[in-house]
Amino acid sequence: MKYKSQAVAKLYFIAAIALFLGQIIFGLIMGLQYVVGDFLFPAIPFNVARMVHTNLLIVWLLFGFMGASYYLIPEETETELFSPKLAIITFWVFLAAGVLTILGYLLVPYAALAKMTGNDLLNTMGREFLEQPLPTKVGIVLVALSWLFNITMTMLKGRKTAISLVLTLGMLGLAVFFLFSFYDPVNLVKDKFYWWWVVHLWVEGVWELILGAMLAFVLIKVTGVDREVVEKWLYVIITMTLVTGIIGTGHHYYWIGAPAYWQWWGSIFSALEPIPFFMMTVFAFNMVNKRRREHPNKAATLWALGTSVMAFLGAGLWGFLHTLAPINYYAHGTQLTAAHGHLAFYGAYALVVLTMISYAMPILRGRAANPERAQIMEMWAFWLMTVSMFFITLFLTGAGIVQIWLQRLSSTPMSFMAVQDQISIFYWAREGAGIVFLIGLTLYIRSFFVKGESKAFE
Amino acid sequence: MQMSQSTLFSTCIFVLLVALTFATFSIGEAGMAGKYTMLILLAIAMIKSQMVAHYFMSLHQTRPLWRLIMLMYFVIVGGLIAVAYLIGLA
Amino acid sequence: MQTTNMISVKESSLEKIEYQNLPGDFALWIFIFAEMLVFGVLFIAYAFSRAQNVALFNDSQLTLNRGFGAINTVILITSSYFVVRGVAAIKKDLTHQCAYWLSGALVLGSVFVGIKMVEFYEKFNAGISMSTNNFYMFYLSLTFFHLMHVLMGMVILATIIARTRRGAYSAKQHTGVETGASFWHMVDFLWIILFPLVYVIR
Repeated sequence: MKYKSQAVAKLYFIAAIALFLGQIIFGLIMGLQYVVGDFLFPAIPFNVARMVHTNLLIVWLLFGFMGASYYLIPEETETELFSPKLAIITFWVFLAAGVLTILGYLLVPYAALAKMTGNDLLNTMGREFLEQPLPTKVGIVLVALSWLFNITMTMLKGRKTAISLVLTLGMLGLAVFFLFSFYDPVNLVKDKFYWWWVVHLWVEGVWELILGAMLAFVLIKVTGVDREVVEKWLYVIITMTLVTGIIGTGHHYYWIGAPAYWQWWGSIFSALEPIPFFMMTVFAFNMVNKRRREHPNKAATLWALGTSVMAFLGAGLWGFLHTLAPINYYAHGTQLTAAHGHLAFYGAYALVVLTMISYAMPILRGRAANPERAQIMEMWAFWLMTVSMFFITLFLTGAGIVQIWLQRLSSTPMSFMAVQDQISIFYWAREGAGIVFLIGLTLYIRSFFVKGESKAFE
Repeated sequence: MQMSQSTLFSTCIFVLLVALTFATFSIGEAGMAGKYTMLILLAIAMIKSQMVAHYFMSLHQTRPLWRLIMLMYFVIVGGLIAVAYLIGLA
Repeated sequence: MQTTNMISVKESSLEKIEYQNLPGDFALWIFIFAEMLVFGVLFIAYAFSRAQNVALFNDSQLTLNRGFGAINTVILITSSYFVVRGVAAIKKDLTHQCAYWLSGALVLGSVFVGIKMVEFYEKFNAGISMSTNNFYMFYLSLTFFHLMHVLMGMVILATIIARTRRGAYSAKQHTGVETGASFWHMVDFLWIILFPLVYVIR
């Protein structure tokens, strides 16, 4: 660890992993509820489990992004963090808000929670992924601003690099677009229209900048390739990301009442969204092949390469599968979307946070890399989680295709619930793959506690 | 001002490009349409683009791979546009 | 003896064909190819959409100002030619001349933008929007998206002119000039396809 203030990242990383575990447990509960409808009813109904599953995902990824940037920015700017104290306060505020919100979901009926938290004053609740009560939303804004402030101030007093610039730009976008979660028009078309400004422009826009910056940082560190080369790639990738991603928002506007031209704009530009992901894959492998040093942390390199490949498959390929308007006409809102969602979030965002943790955590604990045995266990965890997530995706894709067939294409279409019965075999298989994922995650967490001779700094 | 060989060459290309643009415009003004007009106009456009790529961008000095990519781009895009127009005529 | 001969023959033939790298930064070329793909898909989408409604496209096309389109084509071709002269100048260390040629290209670029604005103004005044019909949707999308690239190219050119004036480039080191030039030529040849496709061919 070059700068003392980088240590704050550790708190964030630990919280991220803990919440990740929570997310997976609720995923498994919900996966079982797909086939055993009354499992844990009425204590944890399906809608609550789903809310907890998706909200925990967003929160742990945000913890990961914040931790990663508190680690990355001092090293990039070659100066101590502007205020480590503020970072620590922000951490506890965010954790408390997150935990209280989840407890609120679990212990209080959603309608009562809405009443308790002043949803009457400003109506923001009840929308997918943005279910948070008003105080939590305000909290998220404050936390994001404090994060942005801290990072920007650090950057202003230090060296300015492309990586830190892109990262900050991504964070700024994240904060700005979240503001649209406060705008909930009564008109359903407008409601959906702006809802995507948060949801889509986050994951297919500004988050990709954060992803690109973090991946580039780790690749520079583990390969020792010239910064200039990496930065050039980063610029090209993020420009393509923004061109295709921003206009690609149109692929959500096909059937919600937005103007018809979105079917063309959305189809064409979102069909090109895989390009930047493909460039990222080429870039990552290229850098590793041209490496100038053998970094002792082999696991981090594996996570980084894994990110580039799985992001392309999950976000790029599985997104492309159902992005063209004529196909989406039949495919929207089916299990195909769920398949894409799982592999894209895991491949792009979960993996990039785990890449950063894998690279930074040993250094935060005072060594260049973990002991051999710990690294091997970590790599096993990578393969177990990645392969099982890929199978979850395949099973959900199967479920989606059968669902489209029976429910929408068939000459004698079946009702939604009747179709759900027909595809239960896919759900059982998905639950099985989910258990393997949990085993992988457990192994991952255990790898932090493996003792042995660790690699010192050169 | 004395022009070098390469400058003279690019000036000739420039004049040719302007002349071809004028040809395209005139065909449009004359209100000509139909299969052959379409093919001629499309061919002119692709040849012009290829000239810009080849001589202005100096691709003619690079490896065959890059020239092939560029050429294939014009052939494929131009070809598919032609196919679409022929479908429209049918 | 024979083998040495063969090797020397091989070597000399290798020496003869000495290819140059793509002019400018390779990363930008990746971007250029990606942008070409975007435009290519848009052009083809236009053509196939037209095939489904030829009469509508033909009628609407008549309302476009072909003269503006043609003048803008000549403007971009000329500016591209200026850029070629600028690159040639910097290769001979003629910094001032390079800056003049590139500035000329930049001025022509702004004339292009001006004409485009007049054209758009006319159309919006006539009450035409993206939702009017499929032809106008494509016309406005394609020309607007291209206009964004012209503006981006102008920003790049302006940066390079400023750097040239500061003496950042020379006969030995002028990758930056070539990079900007390549992007500008791409903007040019995409318009060369766009103009006949949208304004003329029917």
